[in-house]
Formats: sequence, C-alpha cells, structure tokens
Amino acid sequence: MAARSEKPVPVADELSQPFWDAAKQHRLVVQRCADCGYYNHPPRPTCDRCSSQRLEFAPVSGRGTIYTFTVMHQPSVTGFEGEVPYVNIVVELEEQPMLFMVSNLPHAELDKIRIGGRVEAWFEERGPDLALAQFRPV
Amino acid sequence: MWHGKGKTAIVGIGYSELMRQSKRPLGLLALDACREAIADAGLSPQQIDGLATYPEAPFLGAGTRDGVDIVSVAWIINHLALAPDVRWYAQIETGMIAAPVIEGVHALMAGACDYVLIWRALHQPRSYGAFSGARAAGDAQFLAPFGCVGVIQSHAMAWRRYMHQYGATREHLSTFVVNSRRNANLNPRAFFYTKPMTREDYFAARPIAEPFCLFDCDVPVEGCVALVMTSAERARDLRRPPAYIAGHGQNTVGRRSVLFYTLDDYVINGQSLAGKLWSSAGLGPTDMDAAQLYDGFSPSTLYWLEAAGFCKRGEAYAFIQDGRIALEGELPVNTFGGSLSEGRLHGMGHIAEAVFQVTGRAERRQVPGAAAVCAIDGSPMLRGSGIVVTRDP
Repeated sequence: MAARSEKPVPVADELSQPFWDAAKQHRLVVQRCADCGYYNHPPRPTCDRCSSQRLEFAPVSGRGTIYTFTVMHQPSVTGFEGEVPYVNIVVELEEQPMLFMVSNLPHAELDKIRIGGRVEAWFEERGPDLALAQFRPV
Repeated sequence: MWHGKGKTAIVGIGYSELMRQSKRPLGLLALDACREAIADAGLSPQQIDGLATYPEAPFLGAGTRDGVDIVSVAWIINHLALAPDVRWYAQIETGMIAAPVIEGVHALMAGACDYVLIWRALHQPRSYGAFSGARAAGDAQFLAPFGCVGVIQSHAMAWRRYMHQYGATREHLSTFVVNSRRNANLNPRAFFYTKPMTREDYFAARPIAEPFCLFDCDVPVEGCVALVMTSAERARDLRRPPAYIAGHGQNTVGRRSVLFYTLDDYVINGQSLAGKLWSSAGLGPTDMDAAQLYDGFSPSTLYWLEAAGFCKRGEAYAFIQDGRIALEGELPVNTFGGSLSEGRLHGMGHIAEAVFQVTGRAERRQVPGAAAVCAIDGSPMLRGSGIVVTRDP
C-alpha cells in the first residue's frame, strides 16, 4: 500500500473539480458544451468546437475502443518504479471521435490488447478521497 | 515570394563539447559555443548587438537556474563582452530554435541591429524526463496518476497508431535510425561519432516505451550550439561563405486540445509551417538537395517528410527505404546524424548542418553541389519552425 500511495495524486482545479467529484461517486462525466453538444476533455474554459462559455458536465457511457497503447519500461514516474513494464492505453470514448482518456491495463492482459478492441470503464479506489476511471477489455 | 529572400544570412557556427553530463556548468558551455560562432564569422564579441535564444528546459519540473539549467539572454549579456549597447534581443517560447532565427531575420531587416547571435543550450540532469512530484496538476492530473507523463509515451503511442493505420513496421523505421548513425559516423561533433550501428544493434536495444527502443529516442546531451546572422550585404565581407536565408515558416495551426499528441492532425499542422516555408522561398521539396528534419523521436522525421510534402501522407516509411535518404541518395536526410546520433540540441544541429551543406563545409558528409537545404524543428504534432538556406542569395 505504501508504494501505491506514492503515485502522483491529481490536483483538481476550478475546471476539473466536477470530474473528480463524480469519479469519487464512480460516475464518469465529461465536460460538454450546452450550445453545440461537443465533449471537451480535459475540461476547457471555452468549447473547443464553438468557443461557447456555456459548459456543463454530462455522464458518458464509459464504453470505448483502444485507439493506441504503449508498454512503458522506464521507471521514471513516482510510484510506478516497481510496476515496469506497465501498459498505458488511450481509449476513444464511443460518444465522440477523438474523445480520449488514458488508462492502465494489467500487463498480464497484453495479449488481449489490440487497436480497436472494446473496453469499458471501472473505478480504481486509490485511498479514501480518490477514485480513478480505468478501462478493461469487454 | 518573400521580399526578404536572400537578404540575410548565417555566417558563423560554434559548438561546445557535447557529452552526456558535463562537469562544467551549462553557462560556460554556452560561452564556448558563442565565442566559437563569433570567431567563425570573423567577428569580435564587441560587434554583436542582437541576441536571441529559445531557453526552455525541455521537460516538466526542470530547474530554471540561469547559467546552470538554462542560458538566458541576460546571462549572455552579463558574461560575454558584447557591443556596449545591445540594440535588440528576443527570448522565444514557441516554435523551438528556428523561431529565434526567424526573429533575427526580422530584426536585421528592420535595421534593429547589425549582427545577431543565436544559441541553444541544453542541460541534462540525471533525472531527465522523470515525473517525481506527488501532485499532478494541469493536464498532468489526467496522465501522471496512470504513470503516463506525456512526451515519450505520447510519441510512442502516435507511432503505434501510424503503424496500425499504414502498415509500417519497426523494420521500416530501423532504416532511418541506422542511416542517421551512418551519417553521424562521419560527423566528428556527434556523440556517436565513433560508434557504428547495425540493424541487429537496433533490434537488440532495450525497449523504452514500446514500440520505441533506446535508439528511437534522441541522445540526451549537455552542450550548446550557437550561430551568427547578419545582412547579406555585410555577410559578403566576412570570413566564411554565407548561408542565405531563403524562406521560413512556423506552425500556426495549434495542436488539438487533447491530452497527448495524436497522429490525426500532424499533416494539417505541419502544412501550416511547410506552406509558408515553401512559398516564402519560392522553392519546394523537389528543390532541396538535402533535408534536416527534426528527430526528437525517430518517427518525427517521417511525419515531417509527409507534412512538408516530400512524399504523401502514410508513405514516409516506404519513401525512406532503398537508400533514398542516404548521403548518396535522391534526398539525403539528417546528413549529420540528427538528434538521434549527434545529440539532442533541439534543432540547432539541424540548422548548423543545413548551413554547412550549402557553404561546402560539411567535409566527408558533403552533398556535392548542395545549393538549397531545409532545416525544420519540432514535431508537426505539436509545434515547429523551419528555414530554407541557400548557397546563392
């Protein structure tokens, strides 16, 4: 547990606070434009597509596909020194093309990882105040 | 065509020693490079009245001590006996090192100064690229908790996507890496000057962030490269043949607001640089006698080949095969070994080599009769700037 607690802890800001608050309740939400419906992640001061300032958070399905992935061998991130090699995947959520989130996958499942493979979100509890949306193969 | 074509020139180059870790502070290495560049031009430091650099430390959490971690304009003013009144300076935060060169062109053409000194100094701490913070703020809040810290994994994942989309393989990419090393073996300044590399060496290298192995990453060095620029008119009276600046361009289409560099916009983003580069110079890809294309990671050069129009999108991995980009090939690429084999100088090596080629100073790497060469920095997925230099004004 000690090693896990050393992993970098996300620092919420005024834009991202609702994202982390929802995650704590195991709900995946993404900032969405109230005018054009476009999803922005990470959350932005204005909509990436139409520049509107009317932005809210909307639930998303948590379903998506693997856009790309890498296996990291460098022990260069705090708390991950003992986990190399570990996997990072980029998930493209089904709600919108190029709506991406980054996640881990167990290295043991490397043979199941392929670009285009379907994944779904789950929440990893990392201490009492932090839940992280992770993804796993469907 | 640009009215400034051929009106300014690069007239001197200086290199400090390049090594993994120097015992001397970065500021002293920068003074070595600056003094050498000024002497190479046949000038004295007292004649330098314009200064520009791109001082950024290239990773998250790097130190910012002047003269140790970075080398600012102020540091050079305080430590080189320059003209009593430096008339113009710029410290650029975008576009990498060709951007200060472009600002130097503007300053010279506006008459703001007579001789511009440009440098890029890079520090290489032992913890290079590490994310050691307990707290992850900004975009890192969505990455670092997953052990994903941006640059290397982003580039590795973009290349994985490229391989998937176009059918490229590590075998294809190895052609580029091995060719770069072969060129570095002809470049006495290169970190890997005395170390040849075979395709077998490439495949035996340890993985870093798959599909990247060690040799897909540029070699981090500590050191500095400097150059001196002036007007074409003044250039004619100096010691070295001038490399005329024929054209320039910068990325102006921003990258998407996503967590990492995606492959999708690299051609569009890169074209925003290349369009200006080629139209200002009145030249195109087929006019280049060689191309020095940034290679922070090996595929970056392939992306530039496509974005700058040397080949079509999705074809660079095939384009580079069969000796086409070798010194003797139809388009010699990174004739000095690039960042992969000369050392990570954030594009300064690329500019220096473009100058050496068009001024006949490239020694054993010389492309016979080279009259026009481009040097492009950065990555079309992120940011970039570039110039075309020519033998004739």
